[in-house]
This record gives sequence, structure tokens and C-alpha cells, in this order.
Amino acid sequence: MGTILEVKNLTKKFGGLTAVNDVSFEIHRGEFLGLIGPNGAGKTTLFNLIFGSEKPSSGTVRFDGRDITGMKPYEIVNLGIARTFQLVRSFRFLTLLDNISVSCLSPRGKKVAKQYGIDESASSILAAVGLVDKASLPPVILPHGDLRKLQIGKALGTNPQLLLLDEPFSGLSHEEQEGITDLIIRLHDDGVTVFMTGHVLRELMNLVPRVIAMHQGKYITEGSPQEVANNKIVLEAYLGKGSEQLA
Amino acid sequence: MPNKTQRFREKVLGFPNYFKHWIRDFKGGLTILSILGLLSFPLVTTNSYFLGLFILAMIYSIFAASWDLLAGFTGKVSFGHAIFLGISGYITAELLKYYNFHWLSALFFGVLASVLIGLGLGYMTLRLKGPYLALGTLVIGIICQKVFALNPLKPILHGDEGISGLPALSSSTVVIYYVVLIFMIITFIVLIRITKLNIGTLFKSIRDDEIGSEAAGINITKYKIIAFMISGSFAGLAGGLFTMFNRSISPLIFQPLYSFYAIIMAALGGLATISGSALGAFLFVFLTAIFVDFAEISLLIFSIILIIIIRFTSGGVLKPALERLKDLWDILLGR
Repeated sequence: MGTILEVKNLTKKFGGLTAVNDVSFEIHRGEFLGLIGPNGAGKTTLFNLIFGSEKPSSGTVRFDGRDITGMKPYEIVNLGIARTFQLVRSFRFLTLLDNISVSCLSPRGKKVAKQYGIDESASSILAAVGLVDKASLPPVILPHGDLRKLQIGKALGTNPQLLLLDEPFSGLSHEEQEGITDLIIRLHDDGVTVFMTGHVLRELMNLVPRVIAMHQGKYITEGSPQEVANNKIVLEAYLGKGSEQLA
Repeated sequence: MPNKTQRFREKVLGFPNYFKHWIRDFKGGLTILSILGLLSFPLVTTNSYFLGLFILAMIYSIFAASWDLLAGFTGKVSFGHAIFLGISGYITAELLKYYNFHWLSALFFGVLASVLIGLGLGYMTLRLKGPYLALGTLVIGIICQKVFALNPLKPILHGDEGISGLPALSSSTVVIYYVVLIFMIITFIVLIRITKLNIGTLFKSIRDDEIGSEAAGINITKYKIIAFMISGSFAGLAGGLFTMFNRSISPLIFQPLYSFYAIIMAALGGLATISGSALGAFLFVFLTAIFVDFAEISLLIFSIILIIIIRFTSGGVLKPALERLKDLWDILLGR
């Protein structure tokens, strides 16, 4: 299978606060991996470190064997990693089509999109996420769930090998969650490696075969959702001390 | 699947048809009418005062449009756009008066200097956002004004008095008018075209969400600097033309007032429209001419007008006015 992402001893300190503390793990090519942890566990910071939005205090990140520690986000995107954000963002004054076109215009995205035409490629991505009928409208008209789909579409425009999804389910109704789940499963079946963080544990646990758990910036454990859910420390983190009795 | 050559051929062959539709369409028709109007104005009058007003308005249009590209389309609101006016103006003046350059070459080097200033300014302000960018550019403008007025630097920068007595571009104001008009038309064609190309979409993505744009794989540093350079080059063009029209230049050209002019004119006409800058510039010049007795408080009046416009319309004067005109146009064409 091969390792697509290798994180080693990754640490990030903000002054006195250690947001990510000596975290190490591997992601295998084509995998579907989850990352869980209560609020403040350091999940988003970990994403930021992998994606280049923040520079680690120490440690390394290797993508496809190549050291990408400290590279700028746009360089990392053009190597094949894409991400979505916890707080949905979009290009407010552009049409949905143009929102996708932007990533199709990235150096990496262009290589693929040029063959069919930028607009055509953006269109087909919009169709893949189910938003093509609103292509000429601005994002302001979209409900939350569709905005999350748009974000995923934007990530797809860069033709990623590894997709980092930060809390893709948060704030969604049950139906919307199902829609996103279907989309993510389809992407994974197409060969994209998916690494997602979750807060809505039930959805995530049913979805991914392997999960990593974090708490207070530290790597706790990894394994199948069942194993991790029964882990003493994980239970303590979510439910407080003494809850290991529930295991 | 159509390949590159086939699609290019379709575009070229389709152009006459496209043009026909564009003219009958409201925007194209209005543009053509405006251009024809400007072209034929000197036939109506050769009075230098009125021609001069139009020339000034056209120069300001170029200046405001360049600012709109940077602020309206890339989201970089500069409060120091006069820096380009001044640097380009001084280089143009220096070459014209002391080195006897032909006005076109002098202008060319002025624009070249602006491109370099744009590069520098773009690089310096990379990490600045919003109010900090505005403040930073404002300060640099004021610094330029002070530096160019310094007595010790008089031998190079000519101090308070600046450079005066520049040779006229032509003895006929009408000739000057048409030269400026040609530059204005070129400017608007180029700037509007840029906004419609892929790079225009990238600029807008930076404006709307810098982090998101970077996450989409765009090298925002590169495009921010490119935007500054393009904007700067046209602002420099305006600066060179302004200097040649006035036949003089002084450190006053760097003053914040001129930077504010660009902002007021672009906003009056409608941000992120490019064409609105022309409307805003002409409106501004005409209104200041009409109310010349109130010159001292003209800036106050304009600021108030601007606040009212921003408060009550979403896109400057251009959009609501165009809505009305569009209805009229449709009626005229019998739709």
C-alpha cells in the first residue's frame, strides 16, 4: 500500500501552550482515516501543521516520501494535499462555478483542467458534488450543507491525492450529513486518501476503518473505532475521570 | 473534444457576431456612445477650458481605474496611490526637461518606474491587511511628499518647487485631448480584459478569501505583486500624462488628497467595475468645476456624498443609474 503521509514527533508551541505535543503517525495510500478528540485536542492545529498554515516548533511531515515540513500551503497543495476548513469559507462574490475554477487554475489543477477547458472541468466537479444547477449563483444562497459540498469541490479542483477534511459534519442536519458522507465515500472509492477529523462521533465511527485519538495535543491511541472508543484514556478525555468504568 | 486550435478558430470567427450582439446589448451600446461622444467632443468646441476639463477627467479616469483594479478586484485598498502619480511624473518631467527625451519615451520610462514601484510596494505590503495596508500606503505617500521637498536633496529632487516649464506635448489642446483619449481607451480595454481573464478570477479570489485562495493552490504572493505592478503601471501612465498636461510637477503630487481622489472617483462610479471609474472621474471633475467657489470645502462635500452613496447604494452611482438607463434603452429598442 505504501505510506502517503508520515508525521514524526510533530510539536507546536504557542508561547506557553503546547497545542500539538510530539505526535507521530502514518497514513497509508488510499486509506480512510479518522481523527477524533474533544475540543482543544489539537486536531485543527495538527491539520494546520500538515498543510503548512502553521510552522511546527519541531518534528517533520513527509508526504509521499518527501519532506514538506514548513512548506507554504500553496506549495503543499500543488504537491497533492487539499483541505477543507472547520469554518466554511468561500469566495463570496464569485459564482459557484468560479469558486471551483480558482482551484482548477492552480498549477496542479490546471494540468488536468486544461485538457477539457477550465469551465468544463469546474462544471464537472460541481456536478460531482451535486451543485451544478446553481453554478451561476453566488455562495450566499447556499445552505450550510451545500457550502460544505462546495468546499469539497474546491479541494477537488486541485486534483489531490490526500484530502484533509476538518470537521466536515459539524453544523449539519442528519440529511446533510448523509449527503456529505456519500460524497466522501465516492471520493475515497475513486482513490483519494481521506483523513478527516470529527466531532460527530457516531457518523465518523461508522465511516472509517481506522481512527487516531488525540487529547490535549497528545497522540493517545489508534485502532478500529471500537478499540478506540473503549480506550480508557479516550473515555476519560470525553467523559471525565472515572468513566473508564463504562468500558 | 474541441482542441485548442478549433476553439481559437471558433472565437475569431464568432467575433463579428459577438460584436453585433454586444452593441445591441445595453453595456456595449453605452460604451460605444460614450466613446463616440468623447471622440466628437472637440468638434463641438475648441475652448481650452472645456477641453482641459475633459482631459483632466480622462487622466483621472485612468488613475481611478488603476486603483479599482487593485482595490475592487484584488481587495488591496491603497491610500497611497498618488505615489505612482508622483514617481512616474517626476521621471517623465526630469527626462523631458533635462534630457530632452521625446514625450513618448519619457512617458514610457515613467511607466516603467511605476511598475518597479509597484513591485516594491507590493512586496512591502504583502503581510498588511485592511486598515494596516491603508495606513502603510498613506504613510509612504506622505514620506515621499516630504522627501521630495527636502532642501538638501534639491539637486536631485528639486525640492519644494519641483520641476516646471516642461515643453508642451503639442501646441494644440485638441491634439493633447486625442492623445489622452487614446491612452484612456487603451487603459480601459486592457483593464477590463484583465478582469475577464483567468487572472481576474484569481485576483477576485484573493479579495474574497486570501486563505481560501491559497488553499486552492494559488500563489497569492505572486498575484498580489502582479496586481500592484499592473495597477501601478496605469497609475504611472496617469501620472506622466498629468505632469505633461500641467507642464510641471511638485512634491504636492504625493499628497494624500490625490490618493483620496482615486478612491472617491472609483467609489463614486462603483467599485470593482473598472468602467465605473470613468463615470466617477467625470462626475468628480464636472462637479468640482461647477462648485469651484466652494473649492476649499469640496473635499468635505465629496466625502459626504461618498458616505451617502456607500450607505444607500450597493455599487456606487453607476449601478442604479445604469438600471434606469437600461430600461430606457430597452424601450428605445422596442423591447
